[in-house]
Amino acid sequence: MLAALAGTAGGVSGLCGPFIDVPDTPFCRSILEIFTLGITVGTTPTTYTPDGVVNRLQAAVLLSRTIDSVLDRGSRAAALGQFWNPGNPAVLGYTTLPFRPISVKADGENIWVSNPPAVSRVRASDGKLLESWTGAPDAEFLLVAMGKVFVTGLNGSLYQVDPAQPAGSVTAVVTGLGAHPFRIAYDGGRIWTANINPGSISIISPGPSIPWTATTITAGFTDPNGILYDGSHIWVTEFQSGLLKKVGPSGAVLQTVTLEKDIGRPAFDGANLWVPTFNQAVLIVRAADGRLVTKLRENELIGPSIAAFDGRRMLIWNADFSAISLWRASDMTPIGAVAPPSDVVTDICSDGLHFWLALPNAGQIARF
Amino acid sequence: MKERRLRPSPFILVLAAIGVLMAGAATTLSGVCGPFTDVGDDAFCPFLQEIFYLGITSGTSPTTYAPDEPVTRIQAAAFLSRTVDAALRMGSRRAAIGQFWTPRVQAALGQTEIGSGIYSVVSDGTDLWVSRLPDSVVRVRGSDGRVLETWTGVIGATQMLAAMGKIFVIGTNQPYGTHVLYRLDPSQPAGSATVVATELGDIPQSIAFDGTRIWTGNTNASISAILPTPTPPWRVTNLRFGFWSPTAVVFDGASLWAVDYAAKTLLRLEGGGILQTVTLGGLPELPIFDGASLWVPNQTFNAVSVVRASTGAILATLTAEGLFSPRSAAFDGERVMVTSSSRVCLWKASSLSPLGCYPFGAGAACSDGINFWLTMGTSLARF
Repeated sequence: MLAALAGTAGGVSGLCGPFIDVPDTPFCRSILEIFTLGITVGTTPTTYTPDGVVNRLQAAVLLSRTIDSVLDRGSRAAALGQFWNPGNPAVLGYTTLPFRPISVKADGENIWVSNPPAVSRVRASDGKLLESWTGAPDAEFLLVAMGKVFVTGLNGSLYQVDPAQPAGSVTAVVTGLGAHPFRIAYDGGRIWTANINPGSISIISPGPSIPWTATTITAGFTDPNGILYDGSHIWVTEFQSGLLKKVGPSGAVLQTVTLEKDIGRPAFDGANLWVPTFNQAVLIVRAADGRLVTKLRENELIGPSIAAFDGRRMLIWNADFSAISLWRASDMTPIGAVAPPSDVVTDICSDGLHFWLALPNAGQIARF
Repeated sequence: MKERRLRPSPFILVLAAIGVLMAGAATTLSGVCGPFTDVGDDAFCPFLQEIFYLGITSGTSPTTYAPDEPVTRIQAAAFLSRTVDAALRMGSRRAAIGQFWTPRVQAALGQTEIGSGIYSVVSDGTDLWVSRLPDSVVRVRGSDGRVLETWTGVIGATQMLAAMGKIFVIGTNQPYGTHVLYRLDPSQPAGSATVVATELGDIPQSIAFDGTRIWTGNTNASISAILPTPTPPWRVTNLRFGFWSPTAVVFDGASLWAVDYAAKTLLRLEGGGILQTVTLGGLPELPIFDGASLWVPNQTFNAVSVVRASTGAILATLTAEGLFSPRSAAFDGERVMVTSSSRVCLWKASSLSPLGCYPFGAGAACSDGINFWLTMGTSLARF
């Protein structure tokens, strides 16, 4: 006990926290904050060297730690005291759907699940199945936008669910999209689908009456299997060719980034695109300039195929069922790898607190 | 110490050595630390890589970082600004659910029909509460815009506050016409509101909470301080410390601020007295606080004054093309929206940089952390 107390007393024995060379001026509060947060440890255990000059390398350390600290403390998980990561499949929460789930998407409060022919709403806080819409026998991937829920149909349809109405049948708002619309994105005005076979993208303009108009573009696309919007541009990944394409408002390809073959489904973290490839790697592309900035290979990546972001962590699901790999998104530090549910995963989303995985063979979704 | 991240396999190294890797990848990975050749692959490298990945630095050249050079104050400003932006962007609720877009046209808004008489809107974090004259409050589910329930008997319902797990509404007490504070308990079935305080100052126009007291800003020269107690009626103290028309009150976590519409000033209040006066001019409206600054719409100037809360200094007066007679503002954790009858405009709160205006008007505004919610005629719109 004496030792512990002595240690504590020693830790704050300086004029400003542990620092004996910083007077108790208005600057002390700022220095104490970055010391408390672990952004600085001083130049020695008892000195901060307040008049010293910071070089660019030291600045990098301070800035990196600042980002990490803000994200860690500002997360919803921190606010709720949920600092853990699930350690094994037994501790996940499972919800059984009426049919086999394919896609999951959060609206901020609930989780939407395509499980053809149904589209179901699951309460995120407790995993309770709330209600199901019917009439979408070929439903696949989901988008939540404009206060509505949209789901692509394998046969070229786009269905809409109005969550504000009582559950009933979905509405087809457009048909005749490119063959096999696979993934879906929204840019604030129009809905985009990546159609995988034969390759094309479709741009859908919502209108006051149904059907909405859609334009399908084949030029420049071979086998797009992923599409997302980064706040400025649409990005499309192509599976076999291993290309990442930045697309302009008209659907023209503005930039092509050559990656690797067998690309999985990407996610955007606010700065970078995380592009899993089945070639045991996750490629990081900076959205601002399309530059491939690094390639992640560790953290038990074996067939990485789906990425999802929760505001702090990036989750990568590996198609060989060996592991779910977690990374801290800001610095790309591996958090660890967790044994996954023993089922194929077809989609992953986050509600800002948990990840949600679609497990079609089990007929369930899992809260991670 | 951060864990080392990049461990190229021997196979990759061989491929790189013989030039087999794709040009993009080979170029990117050719430095010792990321693209940088002048930084050792040591303990500092992961930190530098992080700020490079996040776009906080691009180096002094495509392949150099100049690690031993001192950071000038202007470089420090750029570093810190980009750091703040990156943290806010990645940490937002919108990022967590992958909603990086901003609606571009009115047709892209989600609209919930409420009916006539809409006055104001406030978020409780999950649902939206919409006050309607003459006498009701409507609860709307934030996730999908569905009307959940309507509370009645809230006579003269105008401005609202979500606090203490309840919804408070400024109203009137008919037939006497005095102003009262109603309380709705969201955990109970919708029904009639409860009057918890009476005899508010004349014509209250805004409401705020400081953790202890509820405050209303009243048009006719007073501010009301209401002290919640276990049993209503709650005690009301009407303060008249030289106010002309303190129509708007807002709490910044440390101080209560009031906008005096007639005196054209922003007032920092303490102990019921005026601690600081900031002269704004024009016709200032209800401000919002973004965690650092107060944003005060100004009808006369067709502008928004940004005032640093810690000092009261006016940092900027922001205008935007087509923003005419702005009335309301809202903050979503990253962006500030200002509404007017003809346009709504967005700014990045951290840098005050404009994000654009949209060709439709709105009345009151609030945010639930994901979307802005706007009153538009007889409907509530999700932006």
